[in-house]
Amino acid sequence: MSCHFHPHAEVSWRLSTHSNNHSGVVVHCVECHLPPKENGIGAYTLAKAKHGFKDVYGYLTKEPDEIDWETKGFPETAIHFIYESSCIKCHENLFPASISDKGAEAHLNYQLYPNNRNCISCHIDVGHFDPVAHSKNLDFGLVDMSDKEIYQKATKVVGFVNFNEKIPGTSVSFNMKAIEGGKFILGSPADEQFRQKDEGPQREVELTSFWMGEIEVSWDEYLAFFSATSSQGRKEGEAKQVEEVDAITGATPPWGAPDQGWGKGKHPAITMTHHAAMTYCKWLSQVTGKVYRLPTEAEWEYAARGGNKGTYFFEGEPKDYERQGLVNKLFGPDTTVINSYVVYQENSPERTQTPGFVKANPYGLKNMLGNVAEFCLDYYDPAVYGKYPKGVIKNPRGPRTGAEHVIRGGSFMSSAKELRIANREYTKTKQWLVTDPQIPKSIWWYSDCKHVGFRVVCEYDNKME
Amino acid sequence: MKTTNISRRKFLEKTAIVGAAGIVGASTLRSCKGKKNHQELGLPPLLDQAPDGKKLKAGLVGCGNRGTGAALNFMDAGPNLEIVALADVFEDKVQQCADKLKHYKIEVLSENQFVGLDAYKKLLDVDLDIVLLATPPKFRPEHLKACISAKKHVFMEKPACVDPVGARSIIASSKKAAALGLTIITGTQRRHQRDYIETYKQIANGAIGEITSARAYWLQTHVWFRTREEGWSDMEYMLRNWNNFCWLCGDHILDTHVHNIDVINWFVGSHPKNAIGFGGRARRLTGDQYDFFSIDYNYGNGLFSHSMSRQIDDCANAMGEFIMGKEGFTNCKNTIYNPDGTIKWKYGYPKDKSGKPTNTVKVSPYVQEHIHLVTAIRTNQPVQEAEQTAISTLSAIMGRTAAYTGKKVTWEEMMNSPETLGPEVVEMGDYDGTFEVPVPGKQHKA
Repeated sequence: MSCHFHPHAEVSWRLSTHSNNHSGVVVHCVECHLPPKENGIGAYTLAKAKHGFKDVYGYLTKEPDEIDWETKGFPETAIHFIYESSCIKCHENLFPASISDKGAEAHLNYQLYPNNRNCISCHIDVGHFDPVAHSKNLDFGLVDMSDKEIYQKATKVVGFVNFNEKIPGTSVSFNMKAIEGGKFILGSPADEQFRQKDEGPQREVELTSFWMGEIEVSWDEYLAFFSATSSQGRKEGEAKQVEEVDAITGATPPWGAPDQGWGKGKHPAITMTHHAAMTYCKWLSQVTGKVYRLPTEAEWEYAARGGNKGTYFFEGEPKDYERQGLVNKLFGPDTTVINSYVVYQENSPERTQTPGFVKANPYGLKNMLGNVAEFCLDYYDPAVYGKYPKGVIKNPRGPRTGAEHVIRGGSFMSSAKELRIANREYTKTKQWLVTDPQIPKSIWWYSDCKHVGFRVVCEYDNKME
Repeated sequence: MKTTNISRRKFLEKTAIVGAAGIVGASTLRSCKGKKNHQELGLPPLLDQAPDGKKLKAGLVGCGNRGTGAALNFMDAGPNLEIVALADVFEDKVQQCADKLKHYKIEVLSENQFVGLDAYKKLLDVDLDIVLLATPPKFRPEHLKACISAKKHVFMEKPACVDPVGARSIIASSKKAAALGLTIITGTQRRHQRDYIETYKQIANGAIGEITSARAYWLQTHVWFRTREEGWSDMEYMLRNWNNFCWLCGDHILDTHVHNIDVINWFVGSHPKNAIGFGGRARRLTGDQYDFFSIDYNYGNGLFSHSMSRQIDDCANAMGEFIMGKEGFTNCKNTIYNPDGTIKWKYGYPKDKSGKPTNTVKVSPYVQEHIHLVTAIRTNQPVQEAEQTAISTLSAIMGRTAAYTGKKVTWEEMMNSPETLGPEVVEMGDYDGTFEVPVPGKQHKA
């Protein structure tokens, strides 16, 4: 491994198909990690010097365990030191006779839209072995329930109080917080720092009471749904499912590891589509006999504010926490407060965390901001606040139709300004399915979105008492 | 590609010297100042006969009239060619084809005559070099894939497929064939018709200046159909009447009109970017297809092509193409006009015995296709036409979708569309699908 400085990379390379394959050909580091010499010796030398300098710098200034090797293995990071031209130099033929139908579809798409993806967007594991990548993950969702209590019935709720919901037939439970209805101001004032146009005009909104999940739906919860309903995928691509009350057809087995190897359990479930999240709620309602659904955008913001009118539910303004301005640029912002409430760009590092990482907001909800962004029920319309009828709006639900849905709350990838409570985002279905090689593309799993999850609300009905 | 052209030219010069084959327009091999010659334009060699070589054995999949015709065209392409196997879903079709071939002294061993939906698989087990695909287009993607996997050269009829998933499958198979050095020639005979080719050369070298608009049309009387006979299962009826069911035929905007759309794509040099159009079903008796379409194809930069196709009796009939340029216009086939309508150039057809010019090219384009096929194989200059034919077929599918839905349909939507027509598995017997004729748009309230 010469003068370079990552011993474990050699181990995973030896296990990979670039070293360990039936043909006996071995592909060495520089054949992928430098551009081909044939494309010009200048570019080759320059790249060699750049990476060499970085390695020497790293060797002199850091300990190996200080470096986040895992992040370096994500395609979006790895693209800076794996050269597409080097892949193509050896893999000239993208249509070998042995290629599968799906592979051919994906390569065709790659040729048609070369800017949409790189070789490593799909083939990230070819140079360094990754045991979970690229095998249809058929065991996904098999939860070991051996020595745990299996709940027979859902929790019976008396009165409008916090409760612990039990999912029948599983050992999974989760906390629901009672959020007392009331009035609040939706959106941000025009003078809020980093405010976007779609956050206004501010409107007074009145909401009826509801329960909201204390945490984002965890892998434990989502997997309970997955194992109860998972399907083989014959219905893949049919966005409009036949409404069958008795049999909800759930997600197909995913490819690879949807948890990104960050761990399941109490980590928030990610990479499921908005449609999948909606189906989860439908299933949860069916097995518990309550009405679960995604929160409306207004409910989400009301709960996130926890009675606060400011930018965050804690003290501080975005500029205090952004790496902007001379002082913050030089010394880094003082992030003690925000770090205690939010998993974001500065402390995540590049991945989700379990709920224990943060403190709750005034309503007892965790990770409303950061960790993963959350799907809402509403379709996204940047101008919708101005379109509601005059006066106090009661239980708004957004536009009647639309293409993409609202997501709220920022994620582990967000910077401080994107974590503002009023900040609005939306799903980007096409972009999030770019490397899905299937046609039709999956309706259950986003191939290229790992920062969005969801949280459930349960409707409160007076008659329950 | 450059080396391909050079070596093909060497071959042609050699054969010209030896005199083994006549070459039309040998002078066109030399390029004039700034003008692109035959090879540079990617045009097929226009030999009267394919060169001799090792015996090439072909099998025919799809033994209807076009399939039988294709087999005979193949046999006319040159010396040392043989039809060794036949496959069709129906026994009577295989029998009729074998009988017809007998008239031409072509005997196909009875053990090499295969019947059934999987007959093509059995045919691929026979020792042969080339497969001729002439089934309804629904089956083409599957058949082509199987042929390329079996490392066979292919002649395939147009259209290439009936849906976008099929189009992408054909493109992928075409790319696989390129990697394997296999040849695929398609039945887009205008691209193998000498008058069209010479006209194309003129246009490509600027005879009418920049192209500004185009028109393509296939307006004819009603086409063949079968009424159901007693004892036919649903599937048998549909297969025998395939020309009237969209999932088998793709509708006539593909099945026949694709020729004209292909010519426009060829002359313009690209496929349309989007399409708006309409159509309907006024007179058709069986199946679920339309009998007229009118599509406005947008090629970008202000260039539009109007595409019309119709299969109704007692209406104005016409067939052909028209391209307008800044410095003149053309019928794409044999004549180029000045902007004032006077003739600028005309293709010189061969003369008959009495010295009068005929109006047909020297070699039938249906045979020319197979000369191209055999020449490509015997000179080891593989050619793959399947991708361009899939693109023209997908252009037609884009027009069909625009008419069926009433919506504007884009090329990108087509390239990403998951649409596949017909049942997941085609099997004989009953079929419980419904055949509603598509109606565009939405009903307004009374």
